[in-house]
Amino acid sequence: MLVLVHPDSEATTAPAEAPPTAHADEATALLSRVATGDQRAFSELYDLIAPRMLGLVRHVLKDHAQSEEVVQEVLLEVWQTATRFDPNKGKAVTWMLTMAHRRAIDRVRSAQASRDRDTRIGIRDLGRDVDTVSESAEISIEHKRVEKAMARLSDLQRQAVELAYYGGYTQSEVAEMLGIPLGTVKTRLRDGLIRLRTELGVAS
Amino acid sequence: MSSLSNEQLETAAAYALGALDADEAADFELQLALSPELQREVESLREATGMLGASTAPVAPSPGLKQSLMAQLADTPQLPREDAPVEQMAPATHSAPGRHAAPTPAFERDAAPAAARAPIPMSGLAADKARMRWFSRPATIVAAAAAAVALFFAGVVTADVVRPSAGNQQVLAQVVAAPDASVASSEVAGGATASLVSSESLGLSVMVFDGLATLSDDEAYALWYITGEQISPAGLFTVDADGQTVQVLEGEFVAGTIVGVTVEPASGSPQPTSEPIVAIVTESA
Repeated sequence: MLVLVHPDSEATTAPAEAPPTAHADEATALLSRVATGDQRAFSELYDLIAPRMLGLVRHVLKDHAQSEEVVQEVLLEVWQTATRFDPNKGKAVTWMLTMAHRRAIDRVRSAQASRDRDTRIGIRDLGRDVDTVSESAEISIEHKRVEKAMARLSDLQRQAVELAYYGGYTQSEVAEMLGIPLGTVKTRLRDGLIRLRTELGVAS
Repeated sequence: MSSLSNEQLETAAAYALGALDADEAADFELQLALSPELQREVESLREATGMLGASTAPVAPSPGLKQSLMAQLADTPQLPREDAPVEQMAPATHSAPGRHAAPTPAFERDAAPAAARAPIPMSGLAADKARMRWFSRPATIVAAAAAAVALFFAGVVTADVVRPSAGNQQVLAQVVAAPDASVASSEVAGGATASLVSSESLGLSVMVFDGLATLSDDEAYALWYITGEQISPAGLFTVDADGQTVQVLEGEFVAGTIVGVTVEPASGSPQPTSEPIVAIVTESA
């Protein structure tokens, strides 16, 4: 069931020092308003999410113009399907970024250019994009949190998770690239993601 | 305590990370559709991958992107809510219900125009799929698939229903013409499509397959009605090289039932012995 929330006062929130949860709640509140056809809410949601979405998509796709196309498609889909978002199944930010990630990896896999991608791109460090906007304190906190959590993974787990999530490689491709059995990759992905979930304090 | 297998847990992690290829993802989504526990696992893993996604450095979009998007909103309809009638996705040209109130044996001649004039209500399909997989597929694609199925059935009914000896197609036409007919469709592992037309009032459901692989002589496809823990056999069939077939399910159709298909020994099995190649959830009455 979709739970409609009509908060009265969220329009004035989002100072840079807001804790990460406030950010997530704001996205959920905005998305609920978008679901009623509220274009102003969509405009606010855009300002909140588009730069992060583009950051993620470009991290996977590399090509800026293509990344903007993907972001446009995904945000239009957010507009169309906001009515179907179920807050009981996760955060609005997760929902939107998951859609974007999926589109990005679909695109990167269908592109012939994917042949050019290599291990070095996949395993480069988190968030080393140039030409990025300055991070708000809030995003920076999240970034640090994830970086810290990622540091708790073994090197091999982290490598597998990064190749899969940021590189857009399938588990079979990861196995091939690293020259290890598929079963080993599966185990690393599983163990790595479980550790990450625990470190990030996401309820399991 | 988790009843999920280690393989399911591993696949769930790979799925949440986007590390399955298209075929693997389709297979997994079938299992996902049938297992609320698996859905919860994926949701929870997704919160972790969502944070991975949120931790990349933001990049400023070009100013034109927002303008272009905002300009498109007015012309881009939003999907109806899940509790709203989903028929809005199909052209709203419903003919009077009385037209179909009493399916007659003369449906050979009647069914084609009926199907053409009255779009099949898009029932559980889109809503259920969207609910189960809010994270996985754009609902617009599901809606498009539903519309394609409506066209497909119009075609089937028009082209095939007058064939003598096409008993299954006659039943299909009857179910399609029922006032409460609903249709749901799904991809089958391997690229085929399966569409289920069902009518609670008639207690009948019919599966239409396209592109189904032929099996070896000692195997058959098995249909199942799945209601909670109860799995009832609903028929065995094989398919010719063209991969198309229309199958009337044995037993009483009840809305809310899941219809599943597995590959079994040719003699059949009392219960499924393999993972379903497709499972379609119908909407509760």
